[in-house]
Amino acid sequence: MENIILENLSKDFGAFLAVDKVNLEIKSGELFSFLGPSGCGKTTLLRMIAGFEIPSQGKISIGNSEITDLPPYKREVNTIFQNYSLFPHMTVFDNVAFGLRIKKRPKDEIRQRVHEMLTLVKMEDQALKYPDQISGGQKQRIAIARALINKPQVLLLDEPLAALDLKLRQHMLIELMNIHDAVGITFIYVTHDQSEAMSISDTMAVMNQGKIVQSGPPDDIYERPASIFSAYFIGETNLITGEVTAVHEDYIELSCPDGSGKNLEIDSSFHVAPAPGRQITLSLRPEKIAISRNKPRAMDDINMLKGVIEDILYLGTHTQYIVRVGKLKFRVFSQHKRVYFDDKALDWEESVWLFWHDTDTWLIEEIPSESMFIDDPEGASGLQRYVKRGKI
Amino acid sequence: MNRNVHQVKAERRRNLSSWLLSLPTMLWLTAFFLVPYLIVVIYSFLSPDIYDVRFEVSLDAYRQIFAGNYLRPFLLSFKLAIYTTLICILLGFPVAYYIARAKEKLRNTLLIFIIIPFWTNLIIRIFSWRIFLAYNGVLNDLLISAGLISTPLEIMRTDLAVILVMVYVYLPYMILPLYSTLEKLDFTLLNAAMDLGANEVKAFFSITLPLAVEGIFAGTLLVFIPSLGAYLIPQLVGNQRSLYVGQVITYKIKNIPRNWPMASALSLTLLLLVAVMLLIMYYLFRKHKARRLQS
Repeated sequence: MENIILENLSKDFGAFLAVDKVNLEIKSGELFSFLGPSGCGKTTLLRMIAGFEIPSQGKISIGNSEITDLPPYKREVNTIFQNYSLFPHMTVFDNVAFGLRIKKRPKDEIRQRVHEMLTLVKMEDQALKYPDQISGGQKQRIAIARALINKPQVLLLDEPLAALDLKLRQHMLIELMNIHDAVGITFIYVTHDQSEAMSISDTMAVMNQGKIVQSGPPDDIYERPASIFSAYFIGETNLITGEVTAVHEDYIELSCPDGSGKNLEIDSSFHVAPAPGRQITLSLRPEKIAISRNKPRAMDDINMLKGVIEDILYLGTHTQYIVRVGKLKFRVFSQHKRVYFDDKALDWEESVWLFWHDTDTWLIEEIPSESMFIDDPEGASGLQRYVKRGKI
Repeated sequence: MNRNVHQVKAERRRNLSSWLLSLPTMLWLTAFFLVPYLIVVIYSFLSPDIYDVRFEVSLDAYRQIFAGNYLRPFLLSFKLAIYTTLICILLGFPVAYYIARAKEKLRNTLLIFIIIPFWTNLIIRIFSWRIFLAYNGVLNDLLISAGLISTPLEIMRTDLAVILVMVYVYLPYMILPLYSTLEKLDFTLLNAAMDLGANEVKAFFSITLPLAVEGIFAGTLLVFIPSLGAYLIPQLVGNQRSLYVGQVITYKIKNIPRNWPMASALSLTLLLLVAVMLLIMYYLFRKHKARRLQS
């Protein structure tokens, strides 16, 4: 079992640069996922590892052996395709046996290994059916069995759950993790669904415009986004850009324009050392903010802002409030826990207090640009307006 | 109960109206297809006369066929049909595959190129082949001026010329059904096969070919059956030493003394053979389908 090493890997399709100088090492046995919006180059990257695309530049190796120019059938890599690509003219058994038959293994061995694989994916009683006679989830299992029977070093999964409905997706996700634990090989998973990526991966890489923006364990990326793109693409967040007014020993103060002429003081713990006077962006996840109509007790490490509820979105597991604080808008998630005895529900246009611990804010040394919020003009606390007016 | 009566009535009305709607076609087919065939059947059991038939029942025509007197033209026709079909599959497959994989825009242009020959009358196209293949024709001139040969090749009026023109005429009938099957083929299946260790050749034989069987079946039907009864092409570019069934049938009517019963019996034998072929292919196709549908 060896690591997969991508060196300076690029792929262009004419004028379009799909993958842009990616350097990455994927540890053997890891469940690694690439996460990014459509068109970010994640599938192209996967297809290069599988051998379906030849890189324009750079190198792919498994351990010490370079596989950059090997055809797909000479790589110890197998793929689960997005629509499974089961062979429609073959039974489940023949589909799974395909790889071994190509390698001309003896009949007895084929029968035995196919049976093992079908048992692994819990499909042993469906061997004689054809792909159009089984359900989506079952096709998925067969695709996995068909790939794993070849004992690859790496299993590539290209949006494997995209075609399944929600409940089945959650179920298959757990199944995939179990299979990964059972076979112990490297899984490389490509998805645009962040909850899928976060729940399944040991390590994930966030991609945008052909580049890896950030890679690391899911909680690391969620809690400590390195860039505005990471913060904004993974989960939801409030982005506040402002000027550093004071740097203390264990926290900094940030002022941000709220339109009323007066600055908001926001304390934050920090991992970088910005100098006073510098513009900086702060990411604050909506679930970290508490909301209440009563003013909380003042504490050193608690930030407090007063605002007005502008919108309420009931989402079942939680409610999302859009709270206007001056010119800023905050998204706040509040779970429906009765233990707080907050008997009367919050209402539109009600004045509320927002408060959060200052370690829950995260500094990003980047200032948002207009193009970041094309799909969401109201996004990130209405930052766009400041950008347009040239204040940032 | 009441609803049942209504349903039955409605069904009867539907049946009646569908009968009425199909009536013109039924009449047409009866008058111009079924009746002529009945005449052919009747004629085949009559006795020949110099110009017409004598209304005397005779099994002589069939006796001659079963005695094997006409085995050679039948064998020649079958050989021609088999060669034509095989060559059409071999030439048509790559073309259909290429078109199916081409970009959408190019695909339509290429399909038009396949269809364009149909705009010209068949006989005119065959005559242009005669000019092309003739002893002093375009092909020989070209080959001589290119220095490849010194004396002209005798291609016209050979069996080779017949096969050549047959393939030319029937190739589109193979390409089009093959194309429509290959166009529906999910090409990621080939990626999957290669991913699982099959090289291009193995992927072709284990995935592309089995999934194109329906197209090959359809194309074979469209090429093999008309080739079996080929008359025009052998007549115009072939020679008199190898006569195909279609030609023999024509001569039985054209040459005096005429032999209508013989011509009719030969036609019906050919029809029967085609019907048997169709049944065999239908059976094979059903088996192929059933293999996929059994649970």
